[in-house]
Amino acid sequence: MHIELAELRQRFADVGYIVDENAILTVFLALKLEKPLLIEGAPGVGKTEMGKVLAEILDTELIRLQCYEGLDETKALYEWNYQRQLLRIQIERGQEGAQIEEEDLFSLSYLLERPLLKAIRSPHRVVLLIDEVDKCDPEFEAFLFEVLSDFQVSIPELGTLRAENIPVVVLTSNNERDLSDGLKRRCLYLFFDFPDVERETQIIRAKVPQVEEHFARQLARVVAYLRRQEELRKKPSIAETLDWARALVVLGKKRLDGELVAGMLNLLLKNRQDQLLFHRTIGKEGIDRLLRQGGE
Amino acid sequence: MIAPAECRFAENMALFASLLRANGLPVGTAELLDALQALSFIDIGDRRAFKTALRSTLVKNHRDLEVFDELFDCCFVPPEVHTQRLKEAERQREQQQARLECAAHELSFKGEPLQLSPEEMLIYTSLPERERESLHRFVRETEAAEKEMRPLRPLLETVVKGQLRYWHSRMAQASAGDAAAGAGAGGGTGRAAERERRLREADIQQLGQEDLPAAKALINRLSRQLAARLLQRRQRRAPRGALDFRRTVRANMRHGGRPFLLKYKRKRPAKLQLLFIGDLSASMKRYSSFVLQFIYGLKVAVSNLEIFAFADTLEYLTPALKQQAGLEELLERVVLHGKSWGGGTNIGAALAELNRDYRELLTTRTVAIIVSDTRTINLEAALPELRRLKERVRRLIWLNPLPPEQWPRYRSVAAFGEIAEMWPCNTIARLEEAIAGRLFAASLYLDGEAVMR
Repeated sequence: MHIELAELRQRFADVGYIVDENAILTVFLALKLEKPLLIEGAPGVGKTEMGKVLAEILDTELIRLQCYEGLDETKALYEWNYQRQLLRIQIERGQEGAQIEEEDLFSLSYLLERPLLKAIRSPHRVVLLIDEVDKCDPEFEAFLFEVLSDFQVSIPELGTLRAENIPVVVLTSNNERDLSDGLKRRCLYLFFDFPDVERETQIIRAKVPQVEEHFARQLARVVAYLRRQEELRKKPSIAETLDWARALVVLGKKRLDGELVAGMLNLLLKNRQDQLLFHRTIGKEGIDRLLRQGGE
Repeated sequence: MIAPAECRFAENMALFASLLRANGLPVGTAELLDALQALSFIDIGDRRAFKTALRSTLVKNHRDLEVFDELFDCCFVPPEVHTQRLKEAERQREQQQARLECAAHELSFKGEPLQLSPEEMLIYTSLPERERESLHRFVRETEAAEKEMRPLRPLLETVVKGQLRYWHSRMAQASAGDAAAGAGAGGGTGRAAERERRLREADIQQLGQEDLPAAKALINRLSRQLAARLLQRRQRRAPRGALDFRRTVRANMRHGGRPFLLKYKRKRPAKLQLLFIGDLSASMKRYSSFVLQFIYGLKVAVSNLEIFAFADTLEYLTPALKQQAGLEELLERVVLHGKSWGGGTNIGAALAELNRDYRELLTTRTVAIIVSDTRTINLEAALPELRRLKERVRRLIWLNPLPPEQWPRYRSVAAFGEIAEMWPCNTIARLEEAIAGRLFAASLYLDGEAVMR
């Protein structure tokens, strides 16, 4: 894929996906080296978004494989359409003198393509997003590793299918467990941290343009402050900041205070214990103090 | 083939890789080759791009990022910084030398230097100004006093050595404290990995107030990770089994008996039932709440979790917890408004109450976990109650917050330890090891059928 660094940077800006220079460079290298990109980080920092944005930037199809416990090859790669095969046999049987060959039953029309096979068989270079890879079982991870190494798949009945265009692969992980070294070895690695106040302000402005610069910064500061509370079970994500910003727009608010933050806490902290923690250790007063500190 | 100039560069890169490896980063040849290849796509003169290229190819774990950054900044410096560093090192060496000479002069007795090791001399040179002066004065005064008394030299040497040892340990503590404070102020960046290691290894009872939030966060994280692993394991141990003929035939009746839908057997392993009995007396409160927090995080991975707290009497906390009070709030409340809290610990009475009033919770599927430092009034009465409890439950585990080296000092440890499995758990690392490694070890994980005794 012939794309230069500056061009890539420009296109990220064009679609309003705000990332730091490190991330852009890493994506660039992943494209050049034709290697999968593994993105780790807390939930809600925009990892999945990266896959979607890349598809948009590269103007190609996005194929998504959502991982979960118990995901296996039949759901990820391919499966024979057993029911259809059976029906075919039934039909043939009803007709006099019909003869079905085994090959007929194991041809592409009886193959159910799942995301991985679809990505490999695609006639052009697609973006393959393998989401939350830490949720899948280690066995599946080993299998994934194999596929990502060669980008080819052997189907006993059909032979080996090789990718015509090596897909752009983005894997995301929430760090629920460590991934195997083998899989990591195949990938370039990118760690997404929560954005700093400056960048989050930009993100808010890009996604919810109705929010004014100064107000956006206030929001970003409050969220950053909440994220610094180490005892929180679930720190507010960027998505939650944006939801909050949108809600504030709907309510027609132009400035923040402790009362307002406490009242809308449900949008930021979605866990009763975290909310109790907020009221116990920060409270409206804490937010008011924080907002005053920044000077208006 | 690689040209000589590039060869030199590749050599440097290999050196850097081995340095990373020595610091625990799993950097293999494959990564190194990736890195070299990546460099061919960027402007090597751009230091930041250079760093990012190496970072994204050589580091595959966010915990290693800090180590990488540090080593990178050490190894790849602009030439002027490099020469400046050399100069600085040279200057420091000279200064050190001068100070050592000065020290040898100051710590002398009648013109002859005291018998001190080079390390001790170094400690002396790094003492705060005031302390160094006072030690110096002490040496001079002793020198002056000798006229009247017998030779003081050996005594003086001992005293000076003792002083230096004391200051050495004190300064080491202070700098560790600084580092911790720095990490706290830095918002978790900086030396976060180092800090975490320290928290894991520190005795929970000795943790300072300022470390508590971080320690709690660590506990929560570990417990969440373990819960995720346990759930995954259950999933893995319940794979698609063999074809289930009975269910297949049954499901396909409506297709005229053709095996249209296939049904598979599934194994569904039973989850553990945990019974937590924590000592919430004043001295044990913090520790118990730590352990409880860890275990509470595993709630999703066990089928039932019952929680009791005791000091001199027993309190059943599960119902209160179901009324969705947060764990911490609940503990606070119990400690504040408990029946007769704050009295001495009476394990025997608490266990007797458990055996008598909550018998239905003690089953052959239950694993009981007692958290206590074993110190109790009326030890003799507690032993038969503990035996009775052990007979009723599947397994009886005792988590002991005392460091193992202190165990021999207490008779109660040995007495209880004969009945229950007693595990040392004075640090977070040990706690994790005990619960993740021993309690949930594969053999214990109940498999399908009820366990017969």
